[in-house]
Amino acid sequence: MAEASTAVATPVAPSMPKRPGTLKRLLREPIAAIALLVVVILVLAALLAPWLSPTGPYDNDLSVSLTVPGTPGMMLGADGQGRNMITRLLYGLRSTLLMGVASVLLGGTVGALVGFAAAFYRRVDGLLMRIMDMLLSFPAILFGLAIAAIMGPGIFTIILALSIATVPLMARIVRGSALVVMRQDYIEAARATGMSDARLIMRHLAPNCLSPLFVFATLRFGQVILLGSALSFLGLGAQAPTAELGAMASEGRDFLFFAPHIAVIPCLVIFTIVLAFNLLGDALRDALDPRLRV
Amino acid sequence: MLRHVLQRLLMAVPVLFGVLLIGFLLMQVVPTDPATVRAGPTATADVIAQIRKDMGLDQPLYVQFGLYMWRLLQGDLGVSIINNVPVTQELGATIGPTLELMFASLFWSIPIGIALGTIAAYWRGSLLDRCVTALSVAGGSVPVFFLGLMLIWFVGFQWQWLPFTGRGGPLWSVDGWRSLALPALTLGGTFIAPVARMTRTAVLEVMGAEHVRTARAKGLGEYAVVLHHALRNAMIPVVTLIGLQIGFLLGGAVVTETVFSWPGVGRLAVGAILSSDFPMAQGTILVLSLGFIVVNLVVDILYVALDPRMRGH
Repeated sequence: MAEASTAVATPVAPSMPKRPGTLKRLLREPIAAIALLVVVILVLAALLAPWLSPTGPYDNDLSVSLTVPGTPGMMLGADGQGRNMITRLLYGLRSTLLMGVASVLLGGTVGALVGFAAAFYRRVDGLLMRIMDMLLSFPAILFGLAIAAIMGPGIFTIILALSIATVPLMARIVRGSALVVMRQDYIEAARATGMSDARLIMRHLAPNCLSPLFVFATLRFGQVILLGSALSFLGLGAQAPTAELGAMASEGRDFLFFAPHIAVIPCLVIFTIVLAFNLLGDALRDALDPRLRV
Repeated sequence: MLRHVLQRLLMAVPVLFGVLLIGFLLMQVVPTDPATVRAGPTATADVIAQIRKDMGLDQPLYVQFGLYMWRLLQGDLGVSIINNVPVTQELGATIGPTLELMFASLFWSIPIGIALGTIAAYWRGSLLDRCVTALSVAGGSVPVFFLGLMLIWFVGFQWQWLPFTGRGGPLWSVDGWRSLALPALTLGGTFIAPVARMTRTAVLEVMGAEHVRTARAKGLGEYAVVLHHALRNAMIPVVTLIGLQIGFLLGGAVVTETVFSWPGVGRLAVGAILSSDFPMAQGTILVLSLGFIVVNLVVDILYVALDPRMRGH
């Protein structure tokens, strides 16, 4: 943050962490570059699912049920109901990634607002952080179970549970870095010009806290996918016939001994997503703030 | 020390109250009316009204909350809608297997995780370190159900070494520990990565400390330096972090129990939720939450007990 403080002395503050320098530094690491490429491919595959899929998401043909991967015309085989695995995977990827993005966005935004509020208005700091500590003392799975008990299973249940579990983590990280920024002279200077609180937070505080926020969001995305697919696997998430990777793995359990591909392929995709985001998050952290490297 | 313990206990009270309140409110928002359920499908409106009165459901919400707390103190968590068994009875039967699974998983994964982390930190930057780091990143990305299904497929089905459904009996019986092996391997397997990573970081930090340099300077062997001076001090953050990871372990336990049909609280909770058995769901979630508060409390106290520097803070 020290180098940032001189650069941002002028009122024009917004310095996005994805400025060319960061991206270049990120791509210099081969593992990070590969992880980024994988992420891009996965996101594109999810976005383009309706066009890439050979069949409709619910099209089934029981005569080809349990077809093994490698069969001509059905590269990844078919599931128990004779649905093309490629189609199911593409649509499953869509639901899973959507679940992750929604959870991180929702939980991250609320968490960041709490974090900024705690750092900026010291009077509410104690109260807000005690509430965050309480939330933090319960694992995501408990939120998932409790919300599913109230609202019933569903993809929104999972998004809500994962968001709630993300709020305190994000709040702590944002508060921590915001407190450092708050001590900088330019904040004092901006305040002296009579700037309103909202403007001060938006123009000067928030832009300088973005690095840790982005690193956390990236790493959290991987965790959220892991947790969310586990909740889906339990049957608390997307309900049949919606394709979702965790739910697909759960459906595949029934065929494990004679058609293992139905469970294994979605598991591998989940593993790939999480691994790519974990590697990307680590690399992003190193690129944005080498001091955090262990 | 005593003051610290008391302070922590006091701080747990509002959390406990909050959990109970949420648990109570949970029952208020669910669509089913407990009086109607208890009265049965053939009951007349008068009978339902009478039961409603007997159960205190006609009272204001805060009185009901008081009644709920009173029943809770007597160990009454209600009766399952599905099979009419008292919730406490089912919970009593499932807590043991869940604790068994969690302890068995920790028992083998923590030593391995700590050993891997220490080795990686000691030979920092070496090929060994990079392997451990890569393994822990990859291991931390594996869904617990994936590991479980793979173990079932290979060890249980292909090689037929170990059973993979249900609990064979108490831990001291051969069937008991054989049936525990695969679930414990699964759950523990996902725990090695975070433990190794945390240990590595902690040992790296301690290896640079002055007392380690002093230990080296006075001619102690590397073995003594690492084991007695570095690792011992690194254990403080590791113990705390492991404690904080218990939540992560619980999430894994719920999934592991489902994969292996292990008769634990997690599987009971999921089953209750999926079959809309509200009293059972409420009871299981309540017990899991209470478990959490206790674990956090113990970790907090242990942290201070391990690190005398923390006393008085």
